[in-house]
Amino acid sequence: MQIDAIYFDGETARDRPVRLTRMGGNLQIEEDSLPPTSWSIGGLHAIDTPAPGQPFRLTHVSKPGARLVIRDEAFVKDLLAQNKALHGGYGWRHVGQVLGWTAGGIGALMLAGYIALSVLPQQVANLLPQSWRTKAGEQFVQSLVGDSNRCDTPAGRSAMAAMVGTLAEGRPDMPPISVEVYNLPIVNAFAVPGGRIIMTRELLKTADEPSEIAGVLAHELGHVALKHPEAQMVRVAGLEVLMGALGGGSSTMKNAAGLAALLRYSREAESEADAYARETLVAASVDPIGFKHFFEKIQKLEGGSNANSKDGKQSSLSKIGNLFSTHPGTEERIQKIEPLPAGKTPVPVLDAAEWAALKSICGG
Amino acid sequence: MENVFPQASGSQAEALIFRYVPRPGLLKLCIINFLLGLVTFGFYRFWARTNVRRHIWSCTHINGEPLEYTGTGWELFMGFIMVMLFFGLPVAVVYAIIALSQGPESPLLVMLQGIVAFIIYVLWGFAIYRARRYQLSRTQWRGIRGTLVGSAAIYSLLYFGSIMAKGMSLGWATPVMNTVLKEHITNDMRFGDAAFKFRGPAGPLYVPYAICWVLTLVVAVVAMVLIGGFVGSHKDWFDMGSTASESQTAKAAIAIVLLVFAGLLLFSAFTTMLWSVYISAEYRTFAKYTRFDGAPFRLDVSTGSVIWLTLGNLLLALLTLGIAWPFIQQRTVRFVVDRLALEGLVDIDRIRQSTATLDRRGEGLADAFDVGGL
Repeated sequence: MQIDAIYFDGETARDRPVRLTRMGGNLQIEEDSLPPTSWSIGGLHAIDTPAPGQPFRLTHVSKPGARLVIRDEAFVKDLLAQNKALHGGYGWRHVGQVLGWTAGGIGALMLAGYIALSVLPQQVANLLPQSWRTKAGEQFVQSLVGDSNRCDTPAGRSAMAAMVGTLAEGRPDMPPISVEVYNLPIVNAFAVPGGRIIMTRELLKTADEPSEIAGVLAHELGHVALKHPEAQMVRVAGLEVLMGALGGGSSTMKNAAGLAALLRYSREAESEADAYARETLVAASVDPIGFKHFFEKIQKLEGGSNANSKDGKQSSLSKIGNLFSTHPGTEERIQKIEPLPAGKTPVPVLDAAEWAALKSICGG
Repeated sequence: MENVFPQASGSQAEALIFRYVPRPGLLKLCIINFLLGLVTFGFYRFWARTNVRRHIWSCTHINGEPLEYTGTGWELFMGFIMVMLFFGLPVAVVYAIIALSQGPESPLLVMLQGIVAFIIYVLWGFAIYRARRYQLSRTQWRGIRGTLVGSAAIYSLLYFGSIMAKGMSLGWATPVMNTVLKEHITNDMRFGDAAFKFRGPAGPLYVPYAICWVLTLVVAVVAMVLIGGFVGSHKDWFDMGSTASESQTAKAAIAIVLLVFAGLLLFSAFTTMLWSVYISAEYRTFAKYTRFDGAPFRLDVSTGSVIWLTLGNLLLALLTLGIAWPFIQQRTVRFVVDRLALEGLVDIDRIRQSTATLDRRGEGLADAFDVGGL
């Protein structure tokens, strides 16, 4: 059968009336002034999905710029029967393709996320020069303590130095640190980049024995020695890069995923610092039960609720080195603290005068 | 008009009739796009946009022959990847390095944000131009595609200049700058080897502009006087001194919030309607100044129709939480196509294919900056 159709050659805008004939697997296109061309039916591409009442628009692999417009529905039906791919539209293959790419994309993102959040931060943290760490530490302290006063008396300071010295007995490789007490009405201790440890007035007030504070100090020492604050800082920066590279997408979803990732690593850091503290206390012959008691005391005091956040919405940054982050697992952390092994006698951490001086470092 | 291209066959000039012929399937696209967008964390948007363009283009008929959109989602996606690789990622890395070396609260970070904002402003016009060029080069009618033949960098500078000029003149440079920008981009526009021309003064646009500008000012002043008067006559509400009880303070706070909210809503509703006067004038004037193959366009856009378009689109977006964006785009395209006419005849047959090279990737910057448009 022969029908009339319109042909655009893709070189001029002229519409050329042509005659179409299907000859086996080929489509013969004839025009008055030109020699006939032949298109294989297998090489045809539908421009739009065929729809009743709509002209069917086709092109061919051999001439992708050309367009053939067919209005004869019987002829179109015949072509569709010859080449199923011309039906076009959405199929399960399309959906499968999208899901496959999505799965691949999520896989690639997870790999990138793993590298940026798990592998790199600790490595980069070890490479950071001291001057960078100090600068960052200053800014963290500024944002954590605000304009509250630093507590400092000569006697209190030497008591703290004595405590650090006692712990150093068990840790000859202890990194240089400075411990500062601030006049803050919350029970907390932080380690910030650059080897600074911050304790609060309320923390000292809550403790009844020097060994309790020694436990807290050993825990924060663990953060410093393992460069946790630095690693978390690099992690946050890496997360920013990852988010920046991701560009679009739902930002709420991305932020939630980012925060979840950061929290996961901060939990990991807490248990690492706990382990460091347990080892240090045993090696320095300081009774770890003080640390345990203090933990239990805090848990009771706070009634299991998270009272660490000053205003309930801390930035992910200030979670660094947060001692008592309450989450499922606190119970387990307490359970892991064991008394000194048999045969080891606990040494007194501070004498009565030193302890009194430390307790009153903020005056009163 | 003299025919400069002698043709073997007897071609002759004809009129162009623009029509929007809706086809079923847009709702299905809407739903599929939304669902796939969800499962791909938004990354399907490049393919979604492509599908919708293909649909809307195919409904736009000129002399019975539909437009054809030949762009692909992959091209848009690669455009996005390139922008992220050469803009997003370097900025993020610099940001991270500064945050690590200077601390997370360093003033350098604020400076970097300022610089990035400046770069975005400078590149805004570039993004618009490249997006337009991509879309034109992926638009075919009768097998012939369009393009922009000029420089995106020059347009970018012009655009940046126009932002500065508008700001410094308190908006009064808007008609001139918009005319200059339109002239520049239209004169770069081709369909095949046939050129669009734009020539016309900005003067006539100043009458509607002045009306809108002055009325906006008047309404703003009146609104402020009214609010001031209200606050003045209800001094006791806002007296937070020692005599104010807690309930009084709460009442005042609620009253202030409601007042500000209602005021802003009323004000923006009014200005949207008011500025439709100017926008419709721009539509009409710019169409009149634009010629294709020597024939001028005509766009019969009234103020009321612009208000209806804006309001309808806004309602559609709000009621469907944005899911119906394909219908918003269809309304917008249809709005223009239904009102567009060419006042003259064009010898279509002698138009030849464009020889401009095709962009391999699409509108990454425009996507990153979200410059609007289709």
